Amino acid sequence: MSLPERSGPPDAGPAPVGELGDSTAESPRSPVRTTRRRPSWALPAIAVGVVVVAVLLAYLRSGSTDVVSQAVVTGILVGGVYGLVAMGLTLIFGVLDIVNFAHGAFLTVALYITVVMVNRFGVYPMLALVVAVPVMFLLGAAIQRFVLAGAIGKPLENQLLITLGLALLIDNLLLLFFGPNPQSVKLPGDTAVPIFGAVTTVSRLLAFGVALVLAALLYVLLRRTRLGTAIRAVAANDSGAQLVGIDTRRIYMTTFAIGTACAGAAGVLVAPLVTIEPTTGELFNIIAFVVVVLGGMGNVVGALVGGVLIGLTEQLGALLLPGQSPLLAIFLVFVLVLLFRPQGLFGRTS
Amino acid sequence: MRKNWIVGLALAAPLALAACGGSAPPGTPGAGGGGGGTAGSGQTIKIASLHPLSGSSAADGQQMDNGAKLAVEAINNAGGIASMGGAKLELLSADSKGAPETGQSEAQRLVQEGAVAIIGTYQSAVSQNVAAVAERNKVPFVIDVSSADAILSQGYQYTFRLQPSGTVLADQGAQYLSDVSKAAGKPAKKVAILHEQGPFGTAIKDTFTKKAQSLGMEVGPVASYDPAKVSDFTTQVTEVKASGADVLMVAGYYRDGVLVAKAVDTVKPTLNAVWGVANGAFDLPQFAAEAGKAGEGFFDANYHLNGKNPQTQALMKTYQDKYNDQIRTGAVLSYDAVRVIADSLNRAKSADPTTLRGAIAQTNLESLVAQKGPITFSSTGENQGAAPILMQVQGGKVVQTYPQDFAETMYRYPATTGQ
Amino acid sequence: MSAATQERSTEEAVLPRPAWGRHLIVLAVLTVLLIPLPLILPPATQAVAVRVLIFAIMAVGWNIMSGFGGMFSFGHAAYFGLGAYTSVWLLVNHGVSPWIGMVAGMVVAALFGVAVGFLALRYRLKGAYFALSTFAFAEMLRLLAINSDFVNRAVGYNVPLRREFSLAFMQFAPGAPEYFWMALGLTVVAIAVSILFLRSKLGRFTVAVRDDEEAAAAVGVPVMRTKILTIALSAAITSVAGAFYTQYYFFIDPEGAFGPSVSIQAILPAVIGGVGTIWGPAIGALVLGPLNDITATLLRNPPAALSFLQGRAGLDVIVYALLLILIVLLLPQGVYGAIRERVRRR
Repeated sequence: MSLPERSGPPDAGPAPVGELGDSTAESPRSPVRTTRRRPSWALPAIAVGVVVVAVLLAYLRSGSTDVVSQAVVTGILVGGVYGLVAMGLTLIFGVLDIVNFAHGAFLTVALYITVVMVNRFGVYPMLALVVAVPVMFLLGAAIQRFVLAGAIGKPLENQLLITLGLALLIDNLLLLFFGPNPQSVKLPGDTAVPIFGAVTTVSRLLAFGVALVLAALLYVLLRRTRLGTAIRAVAANDSGAQLVGIDTRRIYMTTFAIGTACAGAAGVLVAPLVTIEPTTGELFNIIAFVVVVLGGMGNVVGALVGGVLIGLTEQLGALLLPGQSPLLAIFLVFVLVLLFRPQGLFGRTS
Repeated sequence: MRKNWIVGLALAAPLALAACGGSAPPGTPGAGGGGGGTAGSGQTIKIASLHPLSGSSAADGQQMDNGAKLAVEAINNAGGIASMGGAKLELLSADSKGAPETGQSEAQRLVQEGAVAIIGTYQSAVSQNVAAVAERNKVPFVIDVSSADAILSQGYQYTFRLQPSGTVLADQGAQYLSDVSKAAGKPAKKVAILHEQGPFGTAIKDTFTKKAQSLGMEVGPVASYDPAKVSDFTTQVTEVKASGADVLMVAGYYRDGVLVAKAVDTVKPTLNAVWGVANGAFDLPQFAAEAGKAGEGFFDANYHLNGKNPQTQALMKTYQDKYNDQIRTGAVLSYDAVRVIADSLNRAKSADPTTLRGAIAQTNLESLVAQKGPITFSSTGENQGAAPILMQVQGGKVVQTYPQDFAETMYRYPATTGQ
Repeated sequence: MSAATQERSTEEAVLPRPAWGRHLIVLAVLTVLLIPLPLILPPATQAVAVRVLIFAIMAVGWNIMSGFGGMFSFGHAAYFGLGAYTSVWLLVNHGVSPWIGMVAGMVVAALFGVAVGFLALRYRLKGAYFALSTFAFAEMLRLLAINSDFVNRAVGYNVPLRREFSLAFMQFAPGAPEYFWMALGLTVVAIAVSILFLRSKLGRFTVAVRDDEEAAAAVGVPVMRTKILTIALSAAITSVAGAFYTQYYFFIDPEGAFGPSVSIQAILPAVIGGVGTIWGPAIGALVLGPLNDITATLLRNPPAALSFLQGRAGLDVIVYALLLILIVLLLPQGVYGAIRERVRRR
């Protein structure tokens, strides 16, 4: 058995801000030979600086503070949702090393749970969390235990194809059961809310607020509970964790389940904001991956911040490059991050 | 481990064997054309219906396939193709999955199975591919829905289209805006455009801009978006608000149309109207339900089923009874497509695809869709009678408002958005 | 990823001299056996066969870089699409024969592969990060194509239909056997190239680098150059599939050229058949190519017991997805890999 690749010369980088950032299971780079010291606040400061510059440029382009402030506010709120979706994904990647392409599909399942609860049983949309989160948790646990467990340690492409297959399966099962017609969920009392010179809706604010709460909860879970410590241990070194008596299989299952439960929560919160069809979740898949890389794989707080940054990129990008798809700006950021700082803004090379 | 191996191989082997054995029924042998020939009484004439039955456009695709099925039923119940001894029609339904490659191979397979004509396909890229198959196999292809101009500008002889082309839609859309706004005493001065970035939205934007400018309207700002990934329009609508435009033109699909309505409701720009051109949302009853008061007053200049035609009304009722769903214009177009083929078969007195093609080119048939004349085809295969009409969401319902011949009620301009 | 590299067989690295000769002979025999195939098969099945071959070429190309080279690429659509667009652009705008266009496409794709590889390797990305970067590059190409008038934006290109059929312009009657033979020829050449690659010095270096990069560097293998050349070869082969695909389907647009489903299409057959093996990609293509059709056909006319399933949309995709998951789970080394394990254990 060759040595796990996570060890290597300790490259200098900022001290970990995230929870799983001590040493991520998959180091993005081959061992580096040079060392460079950089203060821990440098990178986030650079990111903020870039955003400020972008905002100024957007103002010059559009000539109106209203438009720019709207872009910034929308960017932050939309980004919060992206971060919310990415939180579960980053946890799964950080611990299980699985690039989970079925994440969007899980989100869609939660969307439909919300539809059923609100439209069939007349429940207030946010209360659907009470049902969706446990259901998704159990679903995730079952899938990990019975399907994905067989792929641990197998090459990356195997896992990838299995999660892809799962995504296809779930999307089409939903199509079969619910039909292709678009559905919608309304949040009672959803009105426009003026904020910082721009406008948004109650449902968006709610989604953002809950995203923050969720991030906080996850942070507490990972830092302050025994389960969280076990998860971080497995993420850092799973053979080592086994040696000290941690049941890694159970941790894998639990972590994946938490990840899908997060997707479930994201689905419930996003429900009033989107048109619900079997393929709605796919919308968030790619962006979620970009956010995960930007924030640092395994780093939940990083996912939230990364999401906000991507949201801002999208909105400001639409202003700065009116003819192009804002996705181009997002992918440019993606590639730059991958090349220059693949461990993300808050992760750490190890 | 050993058991896994055996099971796995057992799975893989029959698949490989079946591949060699031929995945599709042999059908009629011979190259080129289906095996129609002359069908006597008692034989069935096969028509292929190729639509996205799964994937992101499944809702529309399934509707259109249902529409085709209803048409075949109606024709068969009325005695089939009279001039061919009452030969019955048989519909071969297939799923394009919204993918050009699948559309192409399915079209090929259907031709192989003896289809004498194909209707479909909804996505322009898929129709593009199927048109090539149709041309090479010399089997007529009647497009119910697909807007790309490029499909019919390659000199294909075997492809016909029922819906108005993107150019006609955008051109008339601008004309209607000018007419309606002038008649209401508030001529449109500055039109902002929000369009999806694909070929559909871009083509609409280009033609609309040209026509609007020639009619004396100023056009701008123009913003495009990715319909698959967009999740919020408040920034773009704020831009529109800041620009002082009095009309917002929107060319896109269903999901983004709903988001636009939400954004307009949130930002409340002072607009006289939100003007959809060939918009995939604004003339759908589902939109009125989903967007609620946010969608009130929205216009759409689009091809639309003719709610004032008694035949169309009967079809709407039949569809509602059988499928428990409101019929959409796409399905009516598919219904029309089958009618065109049946009518042509009747005139051709033959199911030979090449002869059939000649008969289709001579079609002169009343349509269940609102048009400015009967269905007739130009030399490139475009439906010369096709034209959009103007719809508006009033009181949660989509009503036809212009031109006069099709108006169910008067339009409301300004549409009082932003108050 | 450490466990992963252990799973892969290193036997391919040291092919005893006669072995590659044996592979080539098998290839030749298969070719001869397959030549009369289009004359027996009905045209619809021929279409499936051609599709199988196109998938096979894509997968063989992918396998060179990701299987033999261990550099998992999730953006092979970039090369496929560059092959497609280069050849069709030259054809539509300058009337250049698609054969020449294909070669031009190979060059363009190889250059792009070198650029991507250089960037990714210079910054020492590996594993999932490397894969994501390849994906990002493919997506950027797609977005650029959609927004660029130079390549007709999102409209894409139609291959103009010709009056007469000709080999020089790769156009024949629909269902003509020539398509199959062309595809067969291209596939055979691709597989032969992969066999010769393994036998060559570059191939042995590549596998050595994959198995243990530091040790290889220590004995003097030029790691960076090896990796980049491997990527270039992989790109060139996949681009051929793109060029042929466009001529066969008469149409290409940014989604069909650079979309994520294309990248996945290059990976699937190799994984099903056996990553890092010579015959894996072809076998995988053979399993997958007809899979969609078979499930669709079965569900269109199901046996009486399952008649309630008839006509339900999306069901064939569900069956496809289930089979996919099962095969990947039960045969992690692919069909060919599993067979070879079995044979070796005797």
